[in-house]
Amino acid sequence: MVKNLKWVAFLLLALGFGAFVFSQKPPSQRKYPDRIEVRFWHRWGGEWAKVVADIAERYNQSQTKYEVVPLSIPGSGADSKLTLGIIGGNPPDVMSMWNGAIPSLASNGLLTPLEEVMPPEDQTRFMNDSYPVIRDSGRFDGKTYGVTIGSDLYALYVNEEHLKELGLNVDDFPKTLEGVCELGNRLNKTDANGNLTRLGFLLNSFSFVAYNFGPGFYDPVSDSLSLNTAENLRALEFITEERRKIGFERVTRFQAGLNTGSDTGGWPFITGDLSITIDGQWRVEEIRKYRPDMKYRVIPIPPPATNGRAMGGTISGNFMVIPTSAKQKEGAWDFIRFWSGFADKEASARCFNDGGWLPLFPDLVETKTFQAWLKQGPEFQGFIDILSSENCLPMPPVPYLQFLNDQIGRAEDQAVRGTLSPKAALEKLRYTVAEEQRKRKSLGYEE
Amino acid sequence: MKPGRKNNLTGYLFIAPWLIGFFVFTFVPFLQSIYLSFTRYNIITPPKWVGFANYQMLLTQDELFWKSALVTVKFAVIHVPLAVVVGVCLALLLNREVKGIAAYRTIFFLPSIVPTVATSVVFLWILNPTTGLINNLLRNFGIQGPAWLNDPFWAFWALVIMSLWGVGGSMVIYLAGLKDIPIHLYEAAIIDGASPAKRLRHVTLPMLSPVIFFNLVMGVIGAFQYFTQAFVMTPNGGPQDSTLFYSLYLFNRAWKYYDMGYASAMAWILFLIVVTLTAIVFRSQKKWVHYG
Repeated sequence: MVKNLKWVAFLLLALGFGAFVFSQKPPSQRKYPDRIEVRFWHRWGGEWAKVVADIAERYNQSQTKYEVVPLSIPGSGADSKLTLGIIGGNPPDVMSMWNGAIPSLASNGLLTPLEEVMPPEDQTRFMNDSYPVIRDSGRFDGKTYGVTIGSDLYALYVNEEHLKELGLNVDDFPKTLEGVCELGNRLNKTDANGNLTRLGFLLNSFSFVAYNFGPGFYDPVSDSLSLNTAENLRALEFITEERRKIGFERVTRFQAGLNTGSDTGGWPFITGDLSITIDGQWRVEEIRKYRPDMKYRVIPIPPPATNGRAMGGTISGNFMVIPTSAKQKEGAWDFIRFWSGFADKEASARCFNDGGWLPLFPDLVETKTFQAWLKQGPEFQGFIDILSSENCLPMPPVPYLQFLNDQIGRAEDQAVRGTLSPKAALEKLRYTVAEEQRKRKSLGYEE
Repeated sequence: MKPGRKNNLTGYLFIAPWLIGFFVFTFVPFLQSIYLSFTRYNIITPPKWVGFANYQMLLTQDELFWKSALVTVKFAVIHVPLAVVVGVCLALLLNREVKGIAAYRTIFFLPSIVPTVATSVVFLWILNPTTGLINNLLRNFGIQGPAWLNDPFWAFWALVIMSLWGVGGSMVIYLAGLKDIPIHLYEAAIIDGASPAKRLRHVTLPMLSPVIFFNLVMGVIGAFQYFTQAFVMTPNGGPQDSTLFYSLYLFNRAWKYYDMGYASAMAWILFLIVVTLTAIVFRSQKKWVHYG
């Protein structure tokens, strides 16, 4: 009897606890419950997520109709989470997406052509006033699917103090890629066993550096990919040769020991492990935050001594997309307008400055806010200069862009490891992509 | 209603939640994937029938398909026997009556209950060529350790070594099997003058063979589905595709390139391979598995 009573008491307690837990409402994320909710997913985490939350809050304070509720979806599978959200009938109203995923998502009918929500005056401003390379990076098949809220571009970061150790002045920085690599070799430091303790310079990122040698991987005239070209071969041979000079194994080991955190101030350039490095513009803001006293310079990657392209590069970064089945497209576009610079330019400039991102419109750079911010981090100007260059081009607008980028990375890996010669690696890249195109055609895809 | 029937109904009612879940989330998608493997399907738009095109392309045009299959077969061939040997050896060691044996058993079992993702992240640190635990230990002996996950040869072996981390799960099953072996068999063997090695060969292993058989079947299935560790540690398939496991390539095809029809065809080929191998293992049991 007593035993039964104990069981009944235990059961009642368990039921009571369960009822208490399930009766609790989850804490509301809504600060303005009377307004129309605009669900915003983004891929930033940690410190960056706070920056994005602040921007959303500033938007919410700027008007009284909508409330943007940000949700951080960090990680590499953001596009598949978006897809699942759409299939499940519960997509965000707006999402910040890596532009490399846009062609694939758009060609699969997941994204709203933004012309459907842009008023005519916004369309005009977008087409006429924006940086062409950023504008076109969000377009696919003649339509706009993504508008940037922060584009990324790469250039050289040069540690002035390290140059001084060699008695050099940053103003006399080499004007050719060969010169930079030679300088980098002089800046290398090793321990007694020959292991690198400081890396002067490592030329890598074939997918970016290729634009310093030629037009990259796409020919707009024939509207087709141009992978195995003489220019790309030169670029890959150059990268491979420079890696060979330093030693593939030595570099791999050195890099494996470096901090790769992006928002903690532990970037190896800041810590002095790298003397010259290729990196994105957001690092300017990172240095300003964590090492404001650091003496450094941002310099566009110089072209090779012969037949090169000055100020070459390509754009990547975060672009706002609106899923086809989003419930609040008007609110989504209103938020994009606020951030990207269609509305209040000063407010928009502040958004771009907060994350150290490149703006959509050149006139945002002229705002008081942006100019004041530039004074604190003047090196950012180097990136803005590259943006205007005719050699800074968008990624190939193909629906299998993720596949293509993976294969370009694979070709670089094979070449620098010495598994294949650069020529064979490029030929294999061409062949693999051609096979993929053939496969897509036989499955009935248009492209 | 007859009592037997009533009992059956009660039983089915109790397992109904699981049955419904299995039917809705496993069996129906399982059947659907047969159809999808003959279509072009990107989740959003309706599937479009393409016949055997996916299978044809997989088998004749896709280099990565063969590469990933080879990596997986190689892993299965190495990992499965290794896991059996290590598991049985550990169980034999932990079957001894020594002081603190419960603590030792717990220590060896613990890794198998740590979530795979957490284990993988820890191993990323352990295997770091510069700051990792293993290479630091090797350095004390004047050995420069390999670049592990950055080296095409060692990346694969790093995952093989790491796969033994969770061997504690099967070890517990072997241990239970060892406990089930009747003591009188050992007594008879000792009276007949059998050495410890002969007792192991002629008593322990034959009596343990049903448990080994079970772990072998599960090991083969698990090896062909190996995914999480490879995904966390080498998401792009490692240097020179050295860790591009079949399931990892299947996942990338499905979720990175939205090739669900193609991925379904891959899944069905994997299913057929696993079924065939399991059938072979089952058929072989007559020759080496002893039931009592």
